[in-house]
Amino acid sequence: MPAQQDATGADRLAAPTNPDPDLVEVLRDLFADYRATRATPTAVVDLDRGLWQRLEDLGMTRLTGSESAGGSGGGWVDAAALLGLAAAAAAPVPLAEHDLLGGWLLEAAGLPNDGGLRTVCRPDPSGVALNVTWARDASRVVALWEDRDEWRVADVPAERIGIEERRNLAGEPSDTVEFDVDDLEAGALVPHEIGEQFHLRGALARSAQVVGAMERILEIVLVHVRERHQFGRPIGRFQAVQHLVADIASETALARAATDAAVARAAASDWRDPGMLFAVGVAKSCVGHAASVVVRSSHQVLGAIGTTLEHELHTLTKPILARRSEYGSLQDWDETLTTLASSAGHDRLWTLITTGRAKPSHDHRSHAP
Amino acid sequence: MSARLVPPGARELPALTDLRLEVRDFLADQVAAGAFVPHVDTWLTRWDRDFTRELGRRGWLGMVVPTQYGGQGRTYLERFVVTEELLVVGAPVAAHWVAERQIGPSLLRYGTEEQKQAFLPGISRGEVVFGIGMSEPDSGSDLASVRTRAERVDGGWRLTGTKVWTSGAHEADAFFALARSAPLDPDDRHAGLTQFIVDLRAPGVTIRPIVSMGGDHHFNEVHLDGVFIPDERVLGEVGQGWSQVTSELAYERSGPERVLSTFQLLAAAAQAMDDGRLPFDPGLGRHVARVAALHHMSFAVSAALEQHEDADTAAAVVKVLGTTEEGDIADYVDTLTATGWALDEHLDTLLHAAVLQRPGFTLRGGTNEILRGVIARGLGLR
Repeated sequence: MPAQQDATGADRLAAPTNPDPDLVEVLRDLFADYRATRATPTAVVDLDRGLWQRLEDLGMTRLTGSESAGGSGGGWVDAAALLGLAAAAAAPVPLAEHDLLGGWLLEAAGLPNDGGLRTVCRPDPSGVALNVTWARDASRVVALWEDRDEWRVADVPAERIGIEERRNLAGEPSDTVEFDVDDLEAGALVPHEIGEQFHLRGALARSAQVVGAMERILEIVLVHVRERHQFGRPIGRFQAVQHLVADIASETALARAATDAAVARAAASDWRDPGMLFAVGVAKSCVGHAASVVVRSSHQVLGAIGTTLEHELHTLTKPILARRSEYGSLQDWDETLTTLASSAGHDRLWTLITTGRAKPSHDHRSHAP
Repeated sequence: MSARLVPPGARELPALTDLRLEVRDFLADQVAAGAFVPHVDTWLTRWDRDFTRELGRRGWLGMVVPTQYGGQGRTYLERFVVTEELLVVGAPVAAHWVAERQIGPSLLRYGTEEQKQAFLPGISRGEVVFGIGMSEPDSGSDLASVRTRAERVDGGWRLTGTKVWTSGAHEADAFFALARSAPLDPDDRHAGLTQFIVDLRAPGVTIRPIVSMGGDHHFNEVHLDGVFIPDERVLGEVGQGWSQVTSELAYERSGPERVLSTFQLLAAAAQAMDDGRLPFDPGLGRHVARVAALHHMSFAVSAALEQHEDADTAAAVVKVLGTTEEGDIADYVDTLTATGWALDEHLDTLLHAAVLQRPGFTLRGGTNEILRGVIARGLGLR
């Protein structure tokens, strides 16, 4: 078969969703440089303002902001690549909170964004939000507030909030934040779908970060099993070790496939696709279960040295575990998927899997000649 | 070294979805009309020559075979969505599975013009049924150790030996047999192997059933006692059998049949959970998520193969994860059911078949232990 014919056929049938290769190259260089020059790992992890500034200079801190609002106009495919590469470098910067969540909420609410560092949270009815990552470092905190039947977004200056400093499993700032309810009630009204999307966007951002970290773990594991010799040969020559490594690689690949599929669906529809809940759930579930295998098996392969503070491994495994519980626990997401699957029932389960919704998709057929 | 084992994902476009829905509508009508009863593992266990011929009439067999050989001249991606739809509905596809998946593409790549003309139109119509003869009593994962002998005789070869696990040989017209055509060279075990196209009704062929533990007959032992193979039924080059059988493995290993063999059971469990016949359990969501992710991954591999990219390692990843998952679904549903709680004959039928077929999932087409080795090689550890 002539290759040209094949290419034309495939173009008509499937659309690849790859991030901008130039962007990826710039980011790879930047984070490789960051990894090479950073200090040895510590048990507590604080915001790296120098790295944040470099990212800001490149337009990466507002990658998905619209250009009219001072952003770079990027989409979710590029943003997910950025999150993954940053997480692979264990870079302590609030990219998801500041841009994909906080920046997005401000734009959706029509509120100005001065570019100052933001984090984001959903306070409870009394105005308290738990486990707010990077809150102590933010100049303002973007709050999504469910007020009776309405959703509001408030951009509250740091000096008007109370912060109790705490840290998550990864040693990152994960603070308790207390708002004045008046500030939240003064927030701008946003449509319902914004409130509903927030949880999905957060969950998918976390999935992209965890997959990026797992891919870096695979690299560390591969280097180690080649360099570490026991019984006169590299441990990677032992079949039992090879199988552990193959499982790390396979689970990571599955998590990557699920995450990329959800990101592609989000990007293609600007999050309007009614299948987003299912797609994000699939990503969150596969990523979360992969995390169990990858964390356990990578520590097993690396041996005792991988459990020390000076080793890179925990700078990845700890954030993986911290993030997989954010924006819904693994159990929550598996239950959501169970509800979707059981309501789809026998006859619509496959439709759910292929389209993200259980309704027949006949209405969505193309009518192209 | 690349951390990326599996090709990047791709979105299915409307032209492909239209084909998917056309097949889905046809299959829903067939189920409604009682043309077949949905089941699990149907690509091994459910033969229906009439159904297979009907698929041929509709242009859903021989999809990647060029039109001059009676095929459809379409793409692997189109074949992919057709096979997915057939498998999820549990349709009886075993009669054409091997011919359609492996034999056709191998003939296209290695066959002579005469062989292509002789077999491809029949395969594409669903009328010519093929098996495959690779494993032997003493050769399972170690395929290069095959002992079936091919001896040069006037005008052809004589084959002597025994092939096992040949699914459907008792119903098939012919099979591909891998045989040793030159003495074993201990320094190059992969040399001296040749593929032959064997008429299963030829003199000297004896077929005996190998009955599975559920009591059903799908596998066979095929005994070849000096079976004459004319020169024009040698496939490809004499001595190149090893590279011929291994070069097409990505297609065999990454397809949807490595994920969806128990889909009907998963769908029945979802229904039973909705009806309250099974308890609500988050495990269902976990399994549905894995099947969905494997659907994306398998599609990505198909898209890469369509572009003639190397996908051997990716295919091994799909097969390890997919065959584990389809077996785990069987075990999962088994752990949810309480004997004596409620009678659900349909669910029980699917469950029992799935549990009994499960051990085969991670054995056939390369055991998962072998495939983890393939993945390790892809990662540079071998």
